[in-house]
Amino acid sequence: MRFRALPVLLSVLLLGAATSFAATVKLLNVSYDPTRELYQEFNAAFAKHWKAKTGQDVEIQQSHGGSGKQARSVVDGLEADVVTLALAYDVDAVANGGLAPKNWQTRLPNNSAPYTSTIVFLVRKGNPKKIKDWDDLTKPGLQVITPNPKTSGGARWNYLAAWGYALRKYGNDPAKAKDFVQRLFKNVPILDTGARGSTITFVERGIGDVLIAWENEALLAVREIGKGQFQVVAPSLTILAEPPVTVVDKVANKHKTAAVAKAYLEYLYTPEGQEIAARNYYRPRNQQIAAKYAQQFPKVQLFTIDQVFGGWTKAQKEHFADGGIFDQISGAGR
Amino acid sequence: MNRFGGWWLAALLLLLVAASPVRAWQDPAAQEPEEAQEEAQEPDQQTLEEKVQELDQKIRILERKDEIVQEAATEKAKTATSTTSGRDGFSLRSADGAYQLKIRGYVHLDGRFYQSDDERPATDTFILRRVRPIFEGTVFKIFDFRVMPDFGGGTTVLQDAYIDARFSPKIKLRAGKFKPPVGLERLQSATDILFVERGFPTNLVPNRDLGVQLFGDLARGNVSWALGVFNGVPDGGSGDLDNNDGKDYAARLFFQPFLADNGAWKGLGFGVAASTGDQEGTLTSTSLAGYRTPGQQTFFSYRSDGTAAGTVIADGERFRLSPQGHFYRGSFGLLAEYAISRQEVRRADVSAELENTAWQAEASWVFGGEPSFRAVSPKKPFDREAKTWGAFEIKARYGRLEIDDDTFPIFANLASAAEAAEEWGLGLNWYLNRNVRVYLDYERTQFEGGASSGDREDENVLLSRFQIAF
Repeated sequence: MRFRALPVLLSVLLLGAATSFAATVKLLNVSYDPTRELYQEFNAAFAKHWKAKTGQDVEIQQSHGGSGKQARSVVDGLEADVVTLALAYDVDAVANGGLAPKNWQTRLPNNSAPYTSTIVFLVRKGNPKKIKDWDDLTKPGLQVITPNPKTSGGARWNYLAAWGYALRKYGNDPAKAKDFVQRLFKNVPILDTGARGSTITFVERGIGDVLIAWENEALLAVREIGKGQFQVVAPSLTILAEPPVTVVDKVANKHKTAAVAKAYLEYLYTPEGQEIAARNYYRPRNQQIAAKYAQQFPKVQLFTIDQVFGGWTKAQKEHFADGGIFDQISGAGR
Repeated sequence: MNRFGGWWLAALLLLLVAASPVRAWQDPAAQEPEEAQEEAQEPDQQTLEEKVQELDQKIRILERKDEIVQEAATEKAKTATSTTSGRDGFSLRSADGAYQLKIRGYVHLDGRFYQSDDERPATDTFILRRVRPIFEGTVFKIFDFRVMPDFGGGTTVLQDAYIDARFSPKIKLRAGKFKPPVGLERLQSATDILFVERGFPTNLVPNRDLGVQLFGDLARGNVSWALGVFNGVPDGGSGDLDNNDGKDYAARLFFQPFLADNGAWKGLGFGVAASTGDQEGTLTSTSLAGYRTPGQQTFFSYRSDGTAAGTVIADGERFRLSPQGHFYRGSFGLLAEYAISRQEVRRADVSAELENTAWQAEASWVFGGEPSFRAVSPKKPFDREAKTWGAFEIKARYGRLEIDDDTFPIFANLASAAEAAEEWGLGLNWYLNRNVRVYLDYERTQFEGGASSGDREDENVLLSRFQIAF
């Protein structure tokens, strides 16, 4: 009996020593396509902030792809500590997979969307096809580049922005809106899986007359990727995109990274985080930072998904579910 | 006509003469065909330019579509499971390597043929010594598992069942049933040992036990360490259950200082292992073991008749120590180890601390390959058509096991249990390829005591093995 406590103690010590061996904490941020540059800058800033605050090194890995595809990967086992996706529906999918609470959107300010963006047009310099508004995109012979709404969150924003415009134009007649969007998609020669893929198609491969894009992606193309070769056209009406973020609790708890993951997302709301978002052409929530960067964002009339579509769940079911309106449109159009 | 009338007429004529070519150049009749041709050409050129642009776009679109298909294929490949089969078995592997399943195994068909066994007849026999399928795998990148049952000898035994957590090469955690880190030859895989049966020191160290162990490699693999806590098993024993609260603690430190070099001393390894614990046996489970010859005949066992008066049991501290080492260079291989097993025992009211010792040295020379702790890989596998023969290995060993003098007569009967055994063996191994190997050993063991007439009859045995391992 004299040694009875010893093996227990030794086992606990061995296990404890083994599990506490790692000194650097690692986070995986699973995000959508066009946020690469934003999070490269933000991750470096947060790592510095966290080290100064806690003395702990944090290494943040990024994963990017079409938002819907990324959400499915997380549900299927990609161990994301946080997700920063294109739309709330995709984060809902993660929550519905039991990885985060259903009320995830209430855990951070502004419905857990620390920055916003919108949908604009990117055209070639001089706007040779004289594209001014959504109507121009339905003209026969024009080539429109947009990703696949089945895989890309950005594409779903694009689609809904066009639909919202058509509803207003035709007095809320869904049949006419469907015809309008169908004519637009007849002009789409390629459906990339994500927004960054569509940018490559339009900017680097020189395909198409107009790219329907995230505002941040379009501004990045104009000012950095293809400087002097493109210009942004703001349509008369477009949609307010609110890309949300949340901690993937089940994974973060397993990795013991819940605290640092929460701090990571909260840091997006700080002046420094907001400034980084603005520098990467996302519209900041912070009014002071927004005023500072007001010049870089075109003034556009915006509607929200709740106002026109009754929220993401309804919009997803009606438009993007299997057999939904998009399937009908794309089937008919091809 | 006044004098100005002539001037006006002359000027008018001059103007008419001068103007006539201009009129001719401006004459619609002369001009129209040229203009009409140019005007007709302009739309054609525009159409051609548009057509070129249109074709260019079509080509670009086709190229991009192809690019997207290839990207999708690459993406799919990243998540596709790969299947491999080869000399190391069969495996399924997820694209990111985080999940793996390997199916391996080995079979040992042995032949034992005893010579001059008139006094103690032993049965000449073929035996399936080991039939071991092995299931190994990885889950969540860092967690490995291994399950290895054994159907050898017509019985089913679970030999290995453990999980490893690879936190880093320096520190890993193993939990389950596995080999405690004590005996060098015991730690060598059964497919890699030099002779058909392991030498005497393996009698004194644990075989397999249940427990938890931390282990790892330091200094680029130059130092291996292990530290664990186990239920505790008798010498040479395996266990699935514990019969007392005492536990064994085992540790091993092994150095291969030139492992990273490609020099002559690369194959040098030496170290020391030890275990200690407190074990109390019972009449039905004494926590003590007998010892066997290379021919697998028991030559020593403690007294046991099922009664308290006549049965020896473990009763107190157990301590094992094993200095060990190996050296492989070129075609030459050498492995040596020494083992001490000290155990407090009791028979009725009589107690003693007994210390048994064993050692062995075995050497080999390989033709057509290089020896190592992980067996021989032939340079040219056996192929009749190519007239290549694989690798051959000649081998020899010498070993001795001594029982503590105080064991006799109270704890063991000298008339049936030998107080020492000494063996030498010679043999030949034929490695047809990495998977197939044939052994042929001749072992001679001599005893001190162990028979009512004095020394037990020498054991002379011819051992053979056909091994297939993948």
